[in-house]
Amino acid sequence: MTQLAWLIPVFPLVGFLVISLGNKILPKQFSGVFASLTVLASFILSLAIFLQSPETGETVFVFDWIKSGGLSIPVSFLIDHISLTMLLIVTGVGFLIHVYSIGYMKEDEGYSRFFSYLNLFVFFMLLLVMGSNYIVMFAGWEGVGLCSYLLIGFWFKNTEYNNAANKAFIMNRIGDLGFLLGIILIYVTFGSVSFDDVFSAAKTLPDNQPVITAITLLLFVGAMGKSAQIPLYTWLPDAMAGPTPVSALIHAATMVTAGIYMVVRSNILYSISPFTLEVVSIIGMATALFAATIAMVQTDIKKVLAYSTVSQLGYMFVALGVGAYSTALFHVTTHAFFKALLFLAAGSVIHAMSGEQDVRKMGGLRKKLPITFAVFAIGTMAISGVPPFAGFFSKDEILARAWTQSPVLFFFLAVTSVLTAIYMFRVFFLTFYGTFRGTHDQEHHLHESPPSMTIPLVVLAILSTVGGFLGLPTVFSEHHFFGDFLKSSLSTPGTMLQSEASHTFEWTLIGVSIITLAGIIFWAFNHFVKKHRIPAIQETEFKPVAKLLYNKYYIDEIYQSTFVKPLYSISNFFWKIVDNSIVDGLVNGVSKSVVWAGQTIRLVQTGNVGFYIFAMVFGIIAMLLYNLVF
Amino acid sequence: MTTLIVLSALGLVCLFSEILGFRKLLHPIVLIGLLASFVTNLMDWNNGAHLFNEMVVIDNYSVAFMGLMIGITFIWCLMSPDFFTEPSSETDHFALIVFALIGTMVMVTFANMIMLFLGIEILSIALYILAGSHKTKLSSNEAALKYFLMGSFATGFLLFGIALIYGATGSFNLAAISSMISEHHEQNSVMIVAGILMMMIALAFKVSAAPFHFWAPDVYQGAPTVITAFMSTVVKTAAFAAFYRLFIHTFSASPAIWAPTLMIISGLTILVGNITAVYQTNFKRMLAYSSISHAGYMVLAILAMNQSASSSLMFYATAYSISSITAFAILLLVSHQTGSDEIRSFNGLAKQNPFLSAVTLVAMLSLAGIPPTAGFFAKYYIFSAAIQNGYLGLVLIAILGSLIGVFYYFRIIIALFKSESEEKEIKVNTLFRVLLLVTSLAALALGIAPGMLAGLI
Repeated sequence: MTQLAWLIPVFPLVGFLVISLGNKILPKQFSGVFASLTVLASFILSLAIFLQSPETGETVFVFDWIKSGGLSIPVSFLIDHISLTMLLIVTGVGFLIHVYSIGYMKEDEGYSRFFSYLNLFVFFMLLLVMGSNYIVMFAGWEGVGLCSYLLIGFWFKNTEYNNAANKAFIMNRIGDLGFLLGIILIYVTFGSVSFDDVFSAAKTLPDNQPVITAITLLLFVGAMGKSAQIPLYTWLPDAMAGPTPVSALIHAATMVTAGIYMVVRSNILYSISPFTLEVVSIIGMATALFAATIAMVQTDIKKVLAYSTVSQLGYMFVALGVGAYSTALFHVTTHAFFKALLFLAAGSVIHAMSGEQDVRKMGGLRKKLPITFAVFAIGTMAISGVPPFAGFFSKDEILARAWTQSPVLFFFLAVTSVLTAIYMFRVFFLTFYGTFRGTHDQEHHLHESPPSMTIPLVVLAILSTVGGFLGLPTVFSEHHFFGDFLKSSLSTPGTMLQSEASHTFEWTLIGVSIITLAGIIFWAFNHFVKKHRIPAIQETEFKPVAKLLYNKYYIDEIYQSTFVKPLYSISNFFWKIVDNSIVDGLVNGVSKSVVWAGQTIRLVQTGNVGFYIFAMVFGIIAMLLYNLVF
Repeated sequence: MTTLIVLSALGLVCLFSEILGFRKLLHPIVLIGLLASFVTNLMDWNNGAHLFNEMVVIDNYSVAFMGLMIGITFIWCLMSPDFFTEPSSETDHFALIVFALIGTMVMVTFANMIMLFLGIEILSIALYILAGSHKTKLSSNEAALKYFLMGSFATGFLLFGIALIYGATGSFNLAAISSMISEHHEQNSVMIVAGILMMMIALAFKVSAAPFHFWAPDVYQGAPTVITAFMSTVVKTAAFAAFYRLFIHTFSASPAIWAPTLMIISGLTILVGNITAVYQTNFKRMLAYSSISHAGYMVLAILAMNQSASSSLMFYATAYSISSITAFAILLLVSHQTGSDEIRSFNGLAKQNPFLSAVTLVAMLSLAGIPPTAGFFAKYYIFSAAIQNGYLGLVLIAILGSLIGVFYYFRIIIALFKSESEEKEIKVNTLFRVLLLVTSLAALALGIAPGMLAGLI
């Protein structure tokens, strides 16, 4: 069965080809259904392989890709428990989002184009998580970047959206350069880019090798770009310009977790460079806190969710930084469930509000959109860490692991956790409680979404509710299903995986978090619903701190003046002085001389056989003289 | 060996079809015969043999090249039905093509100088006639005569070279000559040096390397387009396979004699081919010069003389033949329907016929050596093989040549997207559609997964 794994990425690729090539012939409705079916097929195959559960990793060879001298790069797939986990997330959540999009994108003129991009994205994402060497992974990595760009700028008639797409692409490019340099350094160091070779060679290396630290840092730069960490995070909030299903699939559930997947995949390298792990956890912690504070005052429902994604990704990096790789992947999984749910539910709200995304204009939607309300509530509780919803278990585990490593990390994560609950319940209450604040027209149009949208929502809501039971903490159960499942594929030395927090600590943590959450929910309800504290419309009415947060610490403006503007003036110099006069002059000169030479040599071709033979004889005599006489 | 017998039988069947009156069935019969010979050829894979008192040797090298040439001939037969519908000469044309193919088979399996000579002559005589097969056209007649005059001149050198080498070593057998040269340290004997140089001159003529390339542009342009297509793909591949076999199997012990001269030939060919092509406005003539420049690159494989050289030559020949046959098929369509082979005829094709311009694009990119097409890896492999043997300077010239090459291949691509259209719609029938699609996909597949073919032999 595992040998059939090569089919998994083929299905969506076929979907992409059929839909994009048959765009003009095929009926419009066909593309949505077909695209969903291809992803479903991949999901079923992944599930079948998962149920068969090969004990150790198995490599599925597909074809020789590049073969040159000592370098041999096959396209082959590594099917182990890490990639199986990602496969199930990508195809499973991917399928639900495809189904949701059938309803969401129904009125759009780019309906078929949308689905072809979406299928292409799933193909590249599968390549990324299945590749058995860094080059195939990189191909997938670049591919998802491309699809992300195409989908952010999906409504390409809007200049602002195009700018957002460009920003995402350029920011990612900086990270990709780091990743690429990392791969090159891996090849130089180990003489191979295949996971098998590199990791088995790395196992024998001692800790703290400078070259391994360099490799891991470079790979991490790649992860910072793709997974939106400080300082390369600013593209993700802007990426919300894309259609909402895209935000759910690419910018919440799958692509942005590629960085985490890559670090988990390279866990051996990271485990032998403690310095990098420290960097990872510090950046993760800073990002988590920083993004959470910005989310506190945002009023665009998707922006809040975007910053919360950045913040949750920070959490995952902290987990990686403390060596809790399976915990990080556990949070990736639960996050995929509840964040996809929240985005899709937000999409349902936006759909009902005729495109309005500002929470200040919503309110009281609970009665008009009962299903959306219920699932959004579940999502909010899951992300805030209300037991027994999914987020509680994975977050709790990260907190516990952070505690064993350093109380400082723990403290900041706990603060972030509190902030998360506050901003999520703020959005929740502002959207669904109180009175409606939109225009009369909008109120008239309010409606619950069609079943193609609500069914995926309900499925995701169920997953967000029970998903956490995959990894019960040790106080509840001897058996940590998720951790045990991944153990065979994580070849990190045992000590790092076994540092567990004590039971007393776990109980305290659970108790304190329940009490805090109850307090937050009560306060938020009181503040936003009872007292009608709606955020101000005018920016001038903000207090200084809120203003700073509302403007996202002016990071975009700082980047603009420190990087973009100087870059523009340098480019201007190179363009006007170096390129226009020096380079162009040289190039034109060379091309002119080539044309002149062509014109001259052409004249030798007279068409006269006598002359030809004369020229040949001349050549022959020259050759013989050169070789025999001199 | 069965392959050669099957093809010879096929040739005879072609000749008899006129008398026995089944001329109409000839096209399918030839196609089936080619398929059959392709299959029998494949059965020799990893199943080599020495035959006829060491006259012929079959190994994986010969099987790979024979497979390539039979395959290209098959495609060629499909794309040139018009050429065969001329009733008076239909049978001759088929028979001549099959005999030419037999000549190429002999050229890649020879283990004896005599067989090399026979192979080249079987091929050349058929080609002289084919080049003049447009009997009523003056240019076709001129091409045939020029080709014959200069070809026989070159053949003289080949024979003279063989005679000199026989004089020095007393043998026609490649293995015996090779051991004589290396054992008896007769590298400096005038007869050996002159003999090797003479044979090199003859083979350089056959592959159209400078300064023995003068016949190529005139003959390529004058001959019927289908014949030009055959010459610049199958014939060129065969000539290179023979060139490589002779020099690597026989003269590799004494590269000092021929490598410096061959190096100059290679550099000169690349520069002359590419630079002259820049100035051409006629598509067919441009392809002729492009074919000369590709010969220059392929000479690099002979100079490389290492493990990867033969497979890189094979890869290059495949990539070049596939893209070149695509280009000629396109030229056939365009010139047939617009009545001219000028580059101008391609103006505005992208709007009229997106399919045709897409395959043109792939063929041009592949010929120019731009990824993700086969041409890129073909150049990459051949350059890296040459660099391994220390020909860095020559490879730099080759890269320079490729840069110049981009100019004239892109001239076609630019023409495709020009707005001024001649408003003459070009129709592509289903057969051509399928053929062009298959060859273009093959060029792309080899560019995306070159590992499929590289390292085969």
